[in-house]
Amino acid sequence: MSSPKTLPKDAQVMIQILKDMGITEYEPRVINQMLEFTYRYVTTIIEDAKIYATHAKKSTVDADDIKLAIQCRMDQSFTSPPPRDFLLEVARQKNQTPLPLIKPYCGPRLPPDRYCLTAPNYRLKSIQKKVSSAGRISVPRLSVGAVSSRPTTPTLGTPSAAKAGAPVSLTGQRFTVQIPPSSQTTVSKSTTPSTPAVSNVLINPSLIGSKNILITTNMVSQSAATDSLKRKHEDDDDYDTL
Amino acid sequence: MAAVQGGMVDEKEEVDIKTEPQSDGFVNTNATDGRQLSPSPGSSSSAGSSKTAAGAPEDQQTLLAVLQFLRKNKLTESVEILRREAGLPEDALDSKGVDCGAPGSGGSAGGVDGLDAGSLLSRVTVSSSAGTPAPTKAVADDQPDVSVVLSAYSQQGDPALYKVYYSDLKKFIESVLDCHRAELSQVFYPLFVHMYLELVYNNHESEAKAFFQKFSGDQECYYEDDLRVLSSLTKKEHMRGNETLLDFRTSKFVLRISRDSYQLLKRHLQERQNNQIWNIIQEHLYIDIFDGMPRSKSQIDAMSGSLAGEAKREANKAKVYYGLLKEPEIELPLDDEDEEAENEEGKPKKKKPKKDSMGSKSKKQDPNAPSQNRIPLPELKDSDKLDKIMYMKEATKRIRLGPENLPSICFYTFLNAYQGLTAVDFTDDSSLIAGGFADSTVRVWSVTPKKLRKVKSAADLNLIDKESDDVLERIMDEKTASESKVLYGHSGPVYGISFSPDRNYLLSSSEDGTVRLWSLLTFTCLVGYKGHNYPVWDTQFSPYGYYFVSGGHDRVARLWATDHYQPLRIFAGHLADVTCTRFHPNSNYVATGSSDRTIRLWDVLTGNCVRIFTGHKGPIHTLAFSPNGKFLASGATDGRVLLWDIGHGLMVSELKGHTDTIYALRFSRDGEILASGSMDNTVRLWNAAKAFDDLETDDFTAATGHIHLQDNSPELLLGTYMSKSTPVIHLHFTRRNLLLAAGSYAA
Repeated sequence: MSSPKTLPKDAQVMIQILKDMGITEYEPRVINQMLEFTYRYVTTIIEDAKIYATHAKKSTVDADDIKLAIQCRMDQSFTSPPPRDFLLEVARQKNQTPLPLIKPYCGPRLPPDRYCLTAPNYRLKSIQKKVSSAGRISVPRLSVGAVSSRPTTPTLGTPSAAKAGAPVSLTGQRFTVQIPPSSQTTVSKSTTPSTPAVSNVLINPSLIGSKNILITTNMVSQSAATDSLKRKHEDDDDYDTL
Repeated sequence: MAAVQGGMVDEKEEVDIKTEPQSDGFVNTNATDGRQLSPSPGSSSSAGSSKTAAGAPEDQQTLLAVLQFLRKNKLTESVEILRREAGLPEDALDSKGVDCGAPGSGGSAGGVDGLDAGSLLSRVTVSSSAGTPAPTKAVADDQPDVSVVLSAYSQQGDPALYKVYYSDLKKFIESVLDCHRAELSQVFYPLFVHMYLELVYNNHESEAKAFFQKFSGDQECYYEDDLRVLSSLTKKEHMRGNETLLDFRTSKFVLRISRDSYQLLKRHLQERQNNQIWNIIQEHLYIDIFDGMPRSKSQIDAMSGSLAGEAKREANKAKVYYGLLKEPEIELPLDDEDEEAENEEGKPKKKKPKKDSMGSKSKKQDPNAPSQNRIPLPELKDSDKLDKIMYMKEATKRIRLGPENLPSICFYTFLNAYQGLTAVDFTDDSSLIAGGFADSTVRVWSVTPKKLRKVKSAADLNLIDKESDDVLERIMDEKTASESKVLYGHSGPVYGISFSPDRNYLLSSSEDGTVRLWSLLTFTCLVGYKGHNYPVWDTQFSPYGYYFVSGGHDRVARLWATDHYQPLRIFAGHLADVTCTRFHPNSNYVATGSSDRTIRLWDVLTGNCVRIFTGHKGPIHTLAFSPNGKFLASGATDGRVLLWDIGHGLMVSELKGHTDTIYALRFSRDGEILASGSMDNTVRLWNAAKAFDDLETDDFTAATGHIHLQDNSPELLLGTYMSKSTPVIHLHFTRRNLLLAAGSYAA
């Protein structure tokens, strides 16, 4: 660290200010942070003041402009908590309502779903909506974000080939049953392989978890094993309307 | 409300509309003067005021001020009558509009108009130049306009004479008898601050600076920080954004002075011609008089230091139910351990000796305990009952602590946290640690060899056998097992962490203004509670779960329930940030410590403040309730631990020893030992049982509001344990009374 003699003047002033305010222990980076803040603040104020001065058609910036600039900035960036009497009033109103009774046997006690963060934060997009035949797998076109460099991707390019390979078992594993107005968590049940013609079904790799799904679907198609357990997030068209 | 001075005051008494007798009361004397102000509701008997001797300019001003006041309150008929009787011209009203620009926003319920009349009186009796009107007229009273609040500082006298007034007072107090001097010296600090702020507000910058320089050195050392903040405040514009300062102005600084000392002071000040000081005292100070011996300097020093003076005795008079709730009956299945736990009867039938603290032997309701239904509490689920059984089993193996039997201390040091560790919590059974960091992450570690696992996905959960005995194990996904988990979600340093008692949830509060609820089964965030728009410094779950409390920079503490997205209660009253929030063991009360150096106890049912404890000289960072619910311990930046009796509302002990901020306090499971951890890298153990036993109960019956404190800190200190260079930020006693401490290594 450079000795105080070689510090720039601004830094020396800042050190003095910190000392005057009684702050004795601080990391050396604090001086830089404070200087940066000061510079940014002063520049913003002066720029604002210039704008006000030109608006008032004055040739030079004077003290009134600066005062106005400071006032406006204060209300914007440096807000302070509400005043005490306002808080007391709000508190009085809030404290008048009795404490709500607790419903028994509720499971996890959480606010209504729209105030929770438990909703899926993605939405699946499908290209083809029709499910014509039992064995048909819709072509899952990968959209943005789902471009994967996984080696398994190319296999999807030949759905028909895969399809042709093991149609029944494949579709059986990958079909999902839609449960309309379902809760936020998607439920995916795999039908038994023997009933491929399940209604309302579409297979879509999800966008965000795509890499996982991509792998699993492909692996499912490749291995043709009944680990449909791997399918984690399934969604379908009805969610598009949300 | 005592009157100011002069005979004409008596007429003003009737003008006092909507005055509440208790609030903002000036001097709490009912006896001596006979100038007691009777609260006459909505009186329009302003005709009485017309008796003032007209002619003198002061009286004229008074009249006009009264007229304006009436007009503002829309008592038009009274205005007419008064004007007619006093013979005032019509246009004289408007010019005096300013004088009635009272600080209307001073407190919602409390005596707004009381302050109006009072300040009105003191203002109009001043004969000085009325040339400094409040810059903005009083906006509608119910609008909390900052400038209206600040307008409390209209001119009180010649600025150059302030120094003279102050030095006069100083000389007087120095000449007073020793026994009274300490008490009267309390007046110096609030007087100094208020006078300084008046000078600043009225733009007398140079006089203000000179005044400050001359007298700031005389103040008590524990006000040093405040004075430093004041010294940077030299212009009126500086006062605007500072909420704490504004609160300081509008609330009355409370002083507790014995009757004799008070008489001395009053007599002296009323003898003088220019008693500006008396005016200021009337306006900004509340003097709580008690009958008894004047206090000594050490006694005063112990209790003072907060931003608003001390606590009024009435503030600590409400009944507080500090007892514990009854433990529910749990029928234990008689398994191999052969334990029985019928707490209501309290008679174990087993061979192992049961501790007395386990259950109450009596079936009668503890008179000091709240009823079970006072606040709604969640009922016990089966898993909770199992937890309780575990708890009782552990409790039987608990080590009895005492001065000869000190606990062992196990220190959990967070390495490589780069000083970013800002909050720590342990679960009650000490199986998990959570750490909140300055990089906005929350990390959870497992202390036991058992790893942390996530619950399986919904698809997998369908396949498991729900009827099997170990279903709770089967729902866990083995592939996600790890020693620690990281929770991302906050956008600012995490300042408060709390586990729920059933170990299913974790709360974290952060600088981004939100409190987040995390599930410890899926290790994801469930809810973000938004209410504070400013950093939230602390949060804690209730001992029974479901409720939690949070406190932050917006000077309020909020009570939430996990299934409501808005707070259920708002505890407003502190003058500065709320830095620490704790539930009482019976979940009916919440204690909050604040940067205004006071601790307040709030009732969850009504939201009222039932206790105010002053005495710390720095912001309070930690609180701890004793397990029996009777006492509260607090630690602050001044390095002292203070012990408070909740029922009586008194300080019972002061533990000196630490040299730096105390960040952690915890009572042992039986309440025998108090452990404190501080930034000076030490953990100290104190003999809490002795501190509470030594109380002289006859002191409590005294209505003075304080007891004589013994200076026995060295005897109560049982041990000091130093770490290499790790400040202690959290302490936890396991169920078997092993002390766990946590901190991050500061190289």
